[in-house]
Amino acid sequence: MKLAQFVKFREEKFGGVLFETRSEKVYTLSPSGAVVVKEIAAGGDAEEVLARLKSRYRDPEGKLEAEAREFISSLKSQGLVAE
Amino acid sequence: MARGPLFEAPLYVGWQLTNECNLSCLHCIEESGPGKAFPDELGREQALDVLGRLARAQVPYLSLSGGEPLLHGAFWELAEAAAAAGIEVKIETNGHLLSPEGCARLRRIGVGAVQVSLDGAARASYERLRARGSWDKALASIRELRRAGVSVEINFSPAKFNAGEIAEAVDLAFHLGAVGFYTGRTIIAGRAARTRGLLEPSAEQYEEFFKTLREKARQYEGRMRVCYHEMGLVEELKYRLENPAALFIILPNGKVKLINALPFVCGDLRRQSVGEVWKAFLEGWRSPEVAEFVHALERDPGMIGRLHEWTEVPLRP
Repeated sequence: MKLAQFVKFREEKFGGVLFETRSEKVYTLSPSGAVVVKEIAAGGDAEEVLARLKSRYRDPEGKLEAEAREFISSLKSQGLVAE
Repeated sequence: MARGPLFEAPLYVGWQLTNECNLSCLHCIEESGPGKAFPDELGREQALDVLGRLARAQVPYLSLSGGEPLLHGAFWELAEAAAAAGIEVKIETNGHLLSPEGCARLRRIGVGAVQVSLDGAARASYERLRARGSWDKALASIRELRRAGVSVEINFSPAKFNAGEIAEAVDLAFHLGAVGFYTGRTIIAGRAARTRGLLEPSAEQYEEFFKTLREKARQYEGRMRVCYHEMGLVEELKYRLENPAALFIILPNGKVKLINALPFVCGDLRRQSVGEVWKAFLEGWRSPEVAEFVHALERDPGMIGRLHEWTEVPLRP
């Protein structure tokens, strides 16, 4: 999994920004959204990305994993992330 | 494009590398042409230094334009360095100086897209607008870019003598393999202010022009982006006062403008960091003088002809 071909990511003080340069659409990210996108940009499939997030953050009830999974799915459906 | 103030640096930089051009287009807001390079344009070392600083500021998207950008002595180095730094690079060119080898090189560099000006569906209208230009050369460069596997976008500047060809021009862009078609109202500034009588489409022509574009956007949806900007200049500038785009326009001498259609310069990348200029950019958009200028423009449309004569934006200490 990786950022789609024309998508750029930059960390910002408020979290991060995804910029789809073809459509010139800008998506602002919360700090937690930016953490997930940073891991996606680092490579690996969805399960590897989720495993890295789980190893880094406390998630006893699995809430983080569920939210990150949903967020990744939403990024994919918007064409911002590709396999 | 999102509001600027959220971000720590621009998201999009439009860099006019040189004011020199091999053509003398009737509508050129910059009045580019042969012998029109600024005397103080950035040389190779300075330009590469600016590029390095844009890359360190993580600017994600850079458009290299002019004048004709291929006439800048460091064009290829800049394009290569930008792409190698992970910046999405777009080239805005008239296409006349692109050889087959150049097209293949752009593909190897990995530029995101090359935008070629093709204003018209026929030689006569194209060559009338693009003085010194060759319809055959423009078409040949587009075909060569596609052969090399480079994404092509078409830019179309409307004039009274080509606006009626818009449907055929969009169709032609699609058949040439373009991924996008871009147009909007021609800004009557710079050389266009002097050629206004020859150039400016009537309100009725614009109405028909945009009606056709709406139909063409639907027709090519999912196959080619048909992007058009219907807003007039004053409306656009009033909107930008409230919503400045996270976009720098770098002039050939390293100075940075608030927006191409305003005469205000907010910094100088030869002397200032990207961060300093970005701060001045955000302050510039809040400057009462800039707001007053836009409102004065609304009262006196004749001021539009002087928009390319830039001045420093007055910033508060």
